[in-house]
Amino acid sequence: MNMETESNKALSDIRVLDLTGPSGVYCTKLLADLGADVIKIEPPGGDPMRQIGPFYHDEIHREKSLYFWHFNTSKKSVTLNINMTGGRDLLNKLIKTADIIVETFQPGYLDSLGLSYENLKIVNPGIILVSITGFGQTGPYRDFKSSDLIGLATSGILFTIGFPEDPPTSLGASQAYHMVSSNAAIGALMALYYRAVSGKGQWIDVPMQGTNIRMSEMVPFTYWVSGKSRYRSGLEYYRARRDIFDCKDGRVVCSALGGAGAEKMLEWMESEGMVADLRDEKYEPVIAIIMGSSPGGKGTQQKIRLEAAKGLRDYPEEADHIDEVWEAFLKTHTREELFVGAQTRGVRLMPVNDARSVVDDIGLRARNYFVDVEHPELNQVFKYPGAPYRLSETPWKISHRAPLVGEHNLEIYIKELGFSDKQLAGFMADNVI
Amino acid sequence: MTYKMPLSGIRVADFAWVQAGPWIGRFFANYGAQVIRIESAKRLDWSRNVPGGPEVVDGKIQKGAYFVNFNCDKLGITLNLSNPQGVDIAKKLIAISDVVTNNFSAGYMDRIGLGYKDLVKVKPDIIMLEMPVFGNSGPRRTFAGYGTGIQSAIGLNSISGMPDRRPGLNIALPDMGPNPTHATIAVLAALHYRNKTGKGQYIELAQLESSLGWMETTILDYTVNGRVRKPQGNRLPYAAPHGVYRCAGKDGWCAICVFTDTEWKVFCHVIGDPALIANERFATLRKRKEYEDELDELVTGWTRGRSAWEVMVLLQYAGIAAGVVETGEDLVLKDEQYKTHQYYVELPYGGGKAYCENTMLRFSETPCKVRNAAPEMGQHNDYVYRELLGMSEEEIVQCYVDEVFA
Repeated sequence: MNMETESNKALSDIRVLDLTGPSGVYCTKLLADLGADVIKIEPPGGDPMRQIGPFYHDEIHREKSLYFWHFNTSKKSVTLNINMTGGRDLLNKLIKTADIIVETFQPGYLDSLGLSYENLKIVNPGIILVSITGFGQTGPYRDFKSSDLIGLATSGILFTIGFPEDPPTSLGASQAYHMVSSNAAIGALMALYYRAVSGKGQWIDVPMQGTNIRMSEMVPFTYWVSGKSRYRSGLEYYRARRDIFDCKDGRVVCSALGGAGAEKMLEWMESEGMVADLRDEKYEPVIAIIMGSSPGGKGTQQKIRLEAAKGLRDYPEEADHIDEVWEAFLKTHTREELFVGAQTRGVRLMPVNDARSVVDDIGLRARNYFVDVEHPELNQVFKYPGAPYRLSETPWKISHRAPLVGEHNLEIYIKELGFSDKQLAGFMADNVI
Repeated sequence: MTYKMPLSGIRVADFAWVQAGPWIGRFFANYGAQVIRIESAKRLDWSRNVPGGPEVVDGKIQKGAYFVNFNCDKLGITLNLSNPQGVDIAKKLIAISDVVTNNFSAGYMDRIGLGYKDLVKVKPDIIMLEMPVFGNSGPRRTFAGYGTGIQSAIGLNSISGMPDRRPGLNIALPDMGPNPTHATIAVLAALHYRNKTGKGQYIELAQLESSLGWMETTILDYTVNGRVRKPQGNRLPYAAPHGVYRCAGKDGWCAICVFTDTEWKVFCHVIGDPALIANERFATLRKRKEYEDELDELVTGWTRGRSAWEVMVLLQYAGIAAGVVETGEDLVLKDEQYKTHQYYVELPYGGGKAYCENTMLRFSETPCKVRNAAPEMGQHNDYVYRELLGMSEEEIVQCYVDEVFA
């Protein structure tokens, strides 16, 4: 299936053993799509992640979880029961061949199986163990359980998201898991760099709470300087005013009148007879504030956002009226017309997309962002999200679809580790694999 | 170097500014690389002036709080890239660097003579990272964007929040999550490849595409099933109860996640209602999903009279995932883990103090902590221009006179 040469893969010389659940599975996907040989170790019967939906045509089946498909591209799968002594003997053989192990068990669990970092180091002195947990390997909360929602909650993000009249509201698509997984991949690659220099492996403790604090955009800092906790306020924290507006076929995101580019937008509105009374003198000071306070506006370099925000609050009626006229203009155009029309006038308006409009986006299509992944068992090809980065010498690539349960048992156990067919049958009979 | 760090020996020429870009250099600096941040008063970094919080006097930072946090452990020099001589000096620095990062708009570095093709002439194995929002090619290549726009354009805003509400994500998640982390991963992978083969390379990270990598199954659900996902609030298809529950006190909330039927039984015991286990309406996950509104009310009935901290501790000690929806005050004053791990550190800056995010990755062999707050403008001009680049006193004075170091 894999036609390109190994030499153009950044991590082709690296083997990773993947013992992750949802909080770490993106880490090993990142490594696999960069060319590492990632072997997913599944309990006999399959990884519990295979039960997470959505499913292909909503058919609940362990080989049809889109969740499993998405996060396990380019990986291999072997089945192995690490809770059995025989399974751990096999695991130790695999560990000898590996560079990195990524795991998401509760702190102490691997130790209870005799698989602590100290023991792994005896088996393979250069091994890099990456341990992803909710709260870290030490400290008073180390045994606490976590989840994506709890990662967001305990790092200060969740409280600031949503509207004041609603409860704090989660982000979609498990952002806390992505954040801790991406940080874990950074840790793994840093350790790899250090190993190349020093010959030494190491253990990296990667807490979801700690790594996610970055995503809160300095919530603790705000408290430290002001003694106040940042509050959820829709979009107010960012712009002082809302910046999501309706248009003809959906919504767009942009400061009222395009912020710094308001003059260009007013000209555009004028040319279509949609400027209403905004050229009246009384709007001049308000438009001046709008032009100075938008992100990226020239004014931001001289003015402080919060001052500008205060400025708009001095003109509540005028600002509301400007929003109305602006939205009335937007409603005469589609997202695409507004996106192109504003951007070519130097205004950073962007569309509010959903999955359909993302997949249909002409910009992404022109750059061949989406990639075709073949699923031979279904005799079908599906479009997957493509490269998060484009490396000129070692392109990111999905080398093959997510593995079937134990798809690589023969390749790994017989061809590579040299067990016989009979031994393999014995492992199966004993429920070791 | 007083102790070993994982990236000791790497030098990064960091031209990035604002938020998503500088954080990449920060990863490198915090974990041991020498990162030289190039700035110019002629094109002042937004984050130097925007506090992101009220101004503070009496010994603490007054402005530039974002900058101070984004550029910890870096060296700082001033260099005016709109001056041709500034570009020549930049090349000298690049010639002794391993990595060059920037997040200027597409084509900017090429226009000033610092494109990848120019850099390989002075450093053949250089690794160069650029982060044009829509990429270097395609019909959108000249367009610009920012974090809140990107999270809308990738569809995150359309699947976040409460059902039937307007989208309202008031953070710039792409700038803090996917883009700096992906970029760091790409550069580290390129360094690994360079160590093996001696080859550098060019990395293009289109911020829109990078951010799309964090959209989980929203894309596949559409391309495979034709389903356009909507916001689910705090619920999850494979857990119940799963949500944020009202607790005692002003705006007190606790997140609770019960995934399995076994956990549900434990939960019933913790809330002092073991009889609930026998209630068939809640006995299985499918049933709990079916009667989820009723279930959530029942949970709230128990949480409402307790503090969020009490709820978290009672549930966690029984093995149920729960977490206080922490405010800034909770994190700084009440969270024991935050304190133990020093998730933020106070560092000296500008005659006062700065409060900076600490390192979050704990390496057993090469432990790293944030050591220094960000440099002041041009703080390391002397070291870089005199010692690293070997410029003479006369050359350096002339560069100040000619505004090359402005």
